[in-house]
Amino acid sequence: MDMEAKKTKQGNYINLEDTGLTDEELFQRIPQDTASIEKITAPKYSYWQSVMRVFFRKKSNIVVVALFVIILVFTFIYPMINGYDKYGNLMDSSTKHLTPSAAMEKFGFSIHYLFGTGDSGQSTFDSIWYGARISLALAAICSVINMTIGILVGALWGFSKRVDIVMNELRNIIGNVPGTLIISVMVMVFSPSFWTLIFAMCITGWIGIAYSMRTQVMIIRDREYNLASRCLGTSTLRIATKNILPYMISFIVTLAANEIPMYISQEVFLSYIGLGISDTTLGKIIFNAQSAMVTPGWGWEFWPPVMLAAFISIILFLVGQSLGDAADPRTHM
Amino acid sequence: MVKYFFKRLFRGIISVVIAVGIIMILIYSLLDNTLIFAEDPQYMKLGNNQKIIYMYQMWKNYGYVDYVSYSDYLNKLVADGEIDEEFRDSIASIGRTPDKDSKDVKEYVEKFTKYYEDKGYTILRLDAVMASKRKVATGGTQALLAYQNKPVLERVASYFGSILTFDNIHYVKEDIGKRGLTFTLHDPAYGGDKFAPAIIGNGTRHKYLLYVDSRFPYVHQNFVKITLGTSYSINKGIDVFETMTQTQGSYVVSPTYYPSGIVAESADDLHTATYAAGSREANLVYEEHYTDDYTNVSLTRNSGSRITYSFVIGIIGSIITYFIGLPLGILMAKKKDTWVDRLGNAYVIFMIAVPGLAYIFMFKAIGNRLGLPTAFSLDNPSAAMYIMPILSSVVASVAGTMRWMRRYMVDQMNSDYVKFARSEGLTEGEIFTKHIFKNAAIPVTHGIPSAFVGALAGSIVTERVYLIPGVGGLLVQAIGAYDNSVIVGVAIFYGMLYIIAAIMGDIVMAIMDPRISFTSKAR
Repeated sequence: MDMEAKKTKQGNYINLEDTGLTDEELFQRIPQDTASIEKITAPKYSYWQSVMRVFFRKKSNIVVVALFVIILVFTFIYPMINGYDKYGNLMDSSTKHLTPSAAMEKFGFSIHYLFGTGDSGQSTFDSIWYGARISLALAAICSVINMTIGILVGALWGFSKRVDIVMNELRNIIGNVPGTLIISVMVMVFSPSFWTLIFAMCITGWIGIAYSMRTQVMIIRDREYNLASRCLGTSTLRIATKNILPYMISFIVTLAANEIPMYISQEVFLSYIGLGISDTTLGKIIFNAQSAMVTPGWGWEFWPPVMLAAFISIILFLVGQSLGDAADPRTHM
Repeated sequence: MVKYFFKRLFRGIISVVIAVGIIMILIYSLLDNTLIFAEDPQYMKLGNNQKIIYMYQMWKNYGYVDYVSYSDYLNKLVADGEIDEEFRDSIASIGRTPDKDSKDVKEYVEKFTKYYEDKGYTILRLDAVMASKRKVATGGTQALLAYQNKPVLERVASYFGSILTFDNIHYVKEDIGKRGLTFTLHDPAYGGDKFAPAIIGNGTRHKYLLYVDSRFPYVHQNFVKITLGTSYSINKGIDVFETMTQTQGSYVVSPTYYPSGIVAESADDLHTATYAAGSREANLVYEEHYTDDYTNVSLTRNSGSRITYSFVIGIIGSIITYFIGLPLGILMAKKKDTWVDRLGNAYVIFMIAVPGLAYIFMFKAIGNRLGLPTAFSLDNPSAAMYIMPILSSVVASVAGTMRWMRRYMVDQMNSDYVKFARSEGLTEGEIFTKHIFKNAAIPVTHGIPSAFVGALAGSIVTERVYLIPGVGGLLVQAIGAYDNSVIVGVAIFYGMLYIIAAIMGDIVMAIMDPRISFTSKAR
């Protein structure tokens, strides 16, 4: 058949009568396939596969993701296996406030003393990862709670007129008082611990997310394609999940990228003004190290936690930004 | 439009009242009352029963409880004429323990107990604390008192009711002669020769209701006083608003013209004189200096108030931010997708992602290296000590301004009217300055009033790092010392600044862009 078709294209016509075959032998009747009539032939599209394809198309994203994985490994697995003990060297005064080179000289080369030692002779390298674990967990939990509440409330807020009136008033009330003030008072009232800090950060934190979500939903809700979809009889749930959610995902991911560094920064700030939690966090380490910074020769202690906080924040931010771009269906073409 | 803004202001005030009310309820109902004594040296010194009585006295003064001691009750009975003073003295001292009371005392203690228990008070009888068999320990004297916790909602209501006080000529209860206000062009506090308009009251709380002096804002008034709550430990006994606005530092002595005609070198600021009943009789110096009982003056100090420092640093920082941030943002938009844009974006991302504290410390370290002062000092002020705080706030806020300016410019660049202008043959420079910039500047102007008003609030981190005696540090200090009324006062101050800034932003935007209207009718 293929050969025949090629010949036909090249212009070598074959007279059917020359073949000497009957019509029955030449042609075959195929029953009509109603299912395939409806089928629109287009390349197969899977949303998440496309997101990944677009995301990894940029080579720099691979590096960023690799760094992100390294951070996760060091924050969550490394402290578990190395058994960090802050007061292990407490009795030996010669181990305190050492620069990296002095520490290496004393203890021999090891990854623990890459950044020298702190005021109790503890390894700065170990302690910053230990602190990062709590800071990152705090930021992640706060983000998850705030994003979940914010997105659900925001979706409802965008869809319902009646909810809109109530929520706008609520936002006016909360928005008129600086967030820092609310968090400070909350932390002061409920003594500072890991979970109360989360509570304080989440009690009003969701409203900003909900408000931006509301605006986004309102913009997309009344687009023509949604109107058309509704006219064709699509259910509200399907419109919400299939028509609106894909647009929202890029927005949500971008938002999350901004949220996590913000909470890390906020935790550092709260620790600094004395409202932080008692556990070792990045903020606490920075707070404790600031006195060392103004002492000549001890300045080394201050930079590793600051740089780690900056590094984690920037990596998370970049991952979020790129993922947000990739999650936008408009970039999938 | 005016009506719209008044409506918004009103709604804003309502929401601030609700939010501050919630904060008050949280603080006063969930926080342990005894925490306010955490930083009180007087409290540390006292012991035994005296400590407990002191606590109740302070709680009464700061509105936590209603408290009546047994002797107050007896004095009340004397005033009502039920008992005479001699009899009061005989029953005034209660026994070391209840079973040691004499018969009369027992009777009156029972009366006291019954009277206040019926009113819902709790009776507290403290038995003497003995050091030895005979000797009472220091501060261990027996005591009898009744107290009642004030309901939080009542506190909230009375707090908001007393924020604004209007001075009037019937303030003074005593006979003070002819009450009224007099207007003078030659303020007697300046010797009576210098031209300085003033309104002086008699019968009012303040002597000077309106006066002019050389301090910002130059014209001062005392008709309306704002009270935001009395501080307990930050600035004991002084109102929060006054704490923010009063001068700081060391005293300044200058020739002072007292009402009696005496001219002396003194730090007394006569313009702040308030009425203190019977003060001249009690104090010979007052008798000599003053002709009336307006003797309660505060002292002039050489440095600015907390608000002044916060404002000066904030305002200079904001101006520099706009002068650097806007051109950079425009440049980024103009050179979109080139290395300039990428470099700018990297800077913006770095600033957003890095914890704010981190680079402020970084700057402090750099400042130290360069030999610039990194701590504020009121004793030897210099212009150099402003450099680092302003610089570190500018570096952070420039990133935000750049980012938004770029965003607005880029948004405008893609709009149809720009394409049309280009097709008309306008040069790129003309399009940028006459079309894109004008439109992109509108949302930017919205932020300018909040930058200026926000400068009054100060910055918590900058002020703490550089030890600036500003408003921003007040909240943190208050939280550290559990000075609850200061926390509430600062909260209401911040809340009001926020709503005023937001409304002013909208007004400026409406002035800049005539297309914007806030009333549906005008559309």
